[in-house]
Amino acid sequence: MADLHIDGVVKSFGETQVLKGISLDIRHGEFIALVGPSGCGKSTLLRIIAGLESQSAGDIVIAGRSVAGVRAADRNLSMVFQSYALYPHLSVADNIAVPLRMRTMGAVQRLPLVGRWMPGAAERNREIDAEVRKAASTLEIETLLDRKPGQLSGGQRQRVALGRALVRDPAAFLLDEPLSNLDAKLRVQTRGEIAELHRRLGATFIYVTHDQVEAMTMSSRIAVMMEGQILQCDAPDLVYEDPEDIRVAEFIGSPKINILPAELNGGSLRVLDRDIARLTRVADQPGIRLGLRPEALRLSGADSVLTGVVAHHENLGSEVFAQIEVPGLSERVVLRADPSARRRLGLGATVGLDFDIGDALLFDTSGKRLRPVIEAARAAHQVA
Amino acid sequence: MAVTEIPVAAPAARSVEASQRRTGWFLTAPAITLMGLILLGPVLVALVLSFTDYALGNSGFNWVGLENYEKLFTRSTYEKMFVATFTYVVTVVPLSVGLGLGAALLITSVGRFRDLYKTIYFLPVMATLLAMAIAWEFMLHPTIGMVNRTIEMGCGTFLEAIWPFMAQGCEGGFPLWLGDQRYAIWVVCFVGIWQGFGFNMVLYLAGLTSVHRELYHAAEMDGARSAWERFRLVTWPALGPTTVFVVTISCIRAFQVFDTIEAFWPQGAGPNKSAYVMMFAIFEKGVQQNLIGIGSAITVVFLGFVMFLTLIQRWLVERKVHYG
Amino acid sequence: MTRDWWKHLILILGALVVIAPFYMMLSYSLKSPGEIDRGEGGFFGRQEMMIDERCVALRDPNRDEVASAAKRFPGLTDREIRDALITEAEADCAMRPAVFNYTMAFTEAPLLRYLLNGVIVTVSIFVIQVLVALPAAYALAKLRFWGREAVFSLVLFCLLIPVHAIALPLYIMLAKLGLTNTYAALVVPWTISVFGIFLMRQFFMTVPDDLIDAARMDGMTEFSIVWRVMLPTAVPALLAFAIFSVVAHWNDYFWPRIVVTGSRELFTPPLGLREFKGDGDGSFFGPMMATATVIVCPLIVAFLLAQKRFIEGITLSGMK
Repeated sequence: MADLHIDGVVKSFGETQVLKGISLDIRHGEFIALVGPSGCGKSTLLRIIAGLESQSAGDIVIAGRSVAGVRAADRNLSMVFQSYALYPHLSVADNIAVPLRMRTMGAVQRLPLVGRWMPGAAERNREIDAEVRKAASTLEIETLLDRKPGQLSGGQRQRVALGRALVRDPAAFLLDEPLSNLDAKLRVQTRGEIAELHRRLGATFIYVTHDQVEAMTMSSRIAVMMEGQILQCDAPDLVYEDPEDIRVAEFIGSPKINILPAELNGGSLRVLDRDIARLTRVADQPGIRLGLRPEALRLSGADSVLTGVVAHHENLGSEVFAQIEVPGLSERVVLRADPSARRRLGLGATVGLDFDIGDALLFDTSGKRLRPVIEAARAAHQVA
Repeated sequence: MAVTEIPVAAPAARSVEASQRRTGWFLTAPAITLMGLILLGPVLVALVLSFTDYALGNSGFNWVGLENYEKLFTRSTYEKMFVATFTYVVTVVPLSVGLGLGAALLITSVGRFRDLYKTIYFLPVMATLLAMAIAWEFMLHPTIGMVNRTIEMGCGTFLEAIWPFMAQGCEGGFPLWLGDQRYAIWVVCFVGIWQGFGFNMVLYLAGLTSVHRELYHAAEMDGARSAWERFRLVTWPALGPTTVFVVTISCIRAFQVFDTIEAFWPQGAGPNKSAYVMMFAIFEKGVQQNLIGIGSAITVVFLGFVMFLTLIQRWLVERKVHYG
Repeated sequence: MTRDWWKHLILILGALVVIAPFYMMLSYSLKSPGEIDRGEGGFFGRQEMMIDERCVALRDPNRDEVASAAKRFPGLTDREIRDALITEAEADCAMRPAVFNYTMAFTEAPLLRYLLNGVIVTVSIFVIQVLVALPAAYALAKLRFWGREAVFSLVLFCLLIPVHAIALPLYIMLAKLGLTNTYAALVVPWTISVFGIFLMRQFFMTVPDDLIDAARMDGMTEFSIVWRVMLPTAVPALLAFAIFSVVAHWNDYFWPRIVVTGSRELFTPPLGLREFKGDGDGSFFGPMMATATVIVCPLIVAFLLAQKRFIEGITLSGMK
């Protein structure tokens, strides 16, 4: 079993710390997505795991063995690069065979021309050839084996890069934004294929992406990274439904979550100068924020907490998104509605929005999640 | 005129085409004329004259058939010429290309002073070769030259014991270099390498910057542990097109060596004609001795070599298909 | 740095070998003949006053001069007056070795003339090359006309012919026309730069057609498109080509050696240096190295000031 532990990894470039003590335990066979905006340090972390860069502090443990000081070639990891990094002068078959040749053949056996006459070389070459064919058939690229990378399309190159990674049996696969150079349609298709490949191989995948949709759809756990830290690492639905941090809530989900300013006074939660709920076991504080996913909102009558004017709407066929300008809020509120509500969402129409306080996510001043006990919804409202 | 013949259907299109044709020819005419007069004409002239005994000042000439070529391939002077030329080319090309590549690799791999090294190594490329040849002649002066003076400092040290050349030199004087038939052509080769490798280095540096960095990481992940393995797997193949070009241009330049030899030995091209290269032969026979027939024959053979090399280069370049 | 020390060691040793002749050239151009002979004085020499024997010899006083100087030296014999005059001459002819070497470089031979010739020749070559190559390159890149492919094939074929290789037939043709020993002989063979045409054509291929169509819509003729639209866009490529061309022709020795004989008026810098070497003896090492320094300097200084551009310009030939 090849579990992988990341233990307090710090990386500094001069004065700036790009990784501020990352710890993560990855069990064998997991598909972990490292997701975050560009510059959050996710690629650096992957390269440190790979051994292409060294950490300033902390440790990486693969299969119970610390790999500090072990170079990339000896860590038994495979990597798929963003640019695919295929050797342009080698055929597809040779590209896929490189990791096997490098590891299992001696320097003399690999010599051009003379190498193949060395003892054992012919047999080794046959084995390698068989393994290359096996990997190629897994990815359905047998017909391309004789071509050069220059003659392939982007999607085909991507498959060859995958083939080169899976031709041997590594402790883990590292994938660095492997889909970012593909067009949108191909990206969706390949997404599914990689997820399926993961299920079939049962191997550990560590997948770096800035695209939260890729992370949500493929991984068993998502590690959301920001400013050199992992904010939360959980299963996709948990990250979506139960975010620990306002930044996670804002990063995951499209359209973005609605954030409303609120205050807590004497246990009473006020939004836009209206008391909407009574909370206990939370200290009073002014600058708390209320997160509402677009699907948590529903259309209601004029006398609602949120009342505003429809400023823009997008009909996607199966659902409708409307942006509503609410007086007193700096940002528009986004609502997801059923297409049947289309008529009520005409541009300029005044609409009221309602929600269950149970669907709202509460965050304190510093952005950490608050988990209060809600005593009575709309208590103040009803009393008044 | 053409205008009247234009069908009514597309008058505008036709007239645009006609005017493009006219301007096209008009704009290229000077270049075509000059190419014909200055490049193609002389090639034909050389070809024709190589079958004659023409000399400047004579009113006519006789056809002598292949006599000039026969001389070229039988007489010992010309044997020396071919030997000297090929010795020079075969020495200078691999060494200046190898040193250029080596310097480029070293320079990209060190962190500091890159630009300084690059500037210094490129200086000889910019300098007037004739002036630098004269400077080298002084450096190699048997008694007051810097080279022998520097070597002399090794006399009386351990070097004398481990290096026979040193022991001999301290005993009976150091080489005359330019005056010594054994050394003459090698000195010329040395100056050629000294002058040319910086040019190759710069081309290789340009080639190296275009190698994708992720390829090195991929090679590392694929198990290429040593620098040599990464060079074999990534760098050398990526520099293929650069190498083809660098080798060809070094060859063509090496074939044209003249300045150094004229500067060192204005009269005889080295002791016992040991550095009698083709360009010097063309100059001496054709211009100084007015033996135009034989000079033209050397010119034709020379052109043959150069064109052959360039055609090989083009063929190699077109064979390669890489993606960027 | 510590891990790379052996790399630096190799690079520094290489740099020393590369620099050595430059160091020596500059150093000898500053030293006195004695210092050169004995190999002493470090880089700058001691710069002790030295007496120019030839200058003194020129001022060797004759009978009349001794007589006319008698008033200045009352009461001395002719012999003593003569000695006094020679001492005076020696004082006037004494100078620092560096000054001596460079003065000799410019007075022994018309070095300024050579430099001027060098400028005239390189500039004319470059200007004519551009005048011929630019329109042709534009036509080959942007105009559709019958025979264009043939013309381009011709260009590709001519790239195979180095001008130095056909020097002999060119020399004969120029001699027949009576053009040897003229500026024309120095310039004419280089007026057509197939490489320039090829380079400009490749560059123009990258210029969008829309730019030319826009110029046509604005009512420009093809001729003014070449000079008023294409020329300004081609400035980077032209600059690189200029460096390439000027370096090649300032340093060229073979061709001028063939077509210029005798007449110093037409000597280019390398020819001048060659002649200087031809008639100098050992004591002229200093002035000769001064000449060499003066000839090599312009390009080296320009290179040091604009290294990036120079290296680009020279490597441009590698982008075929």
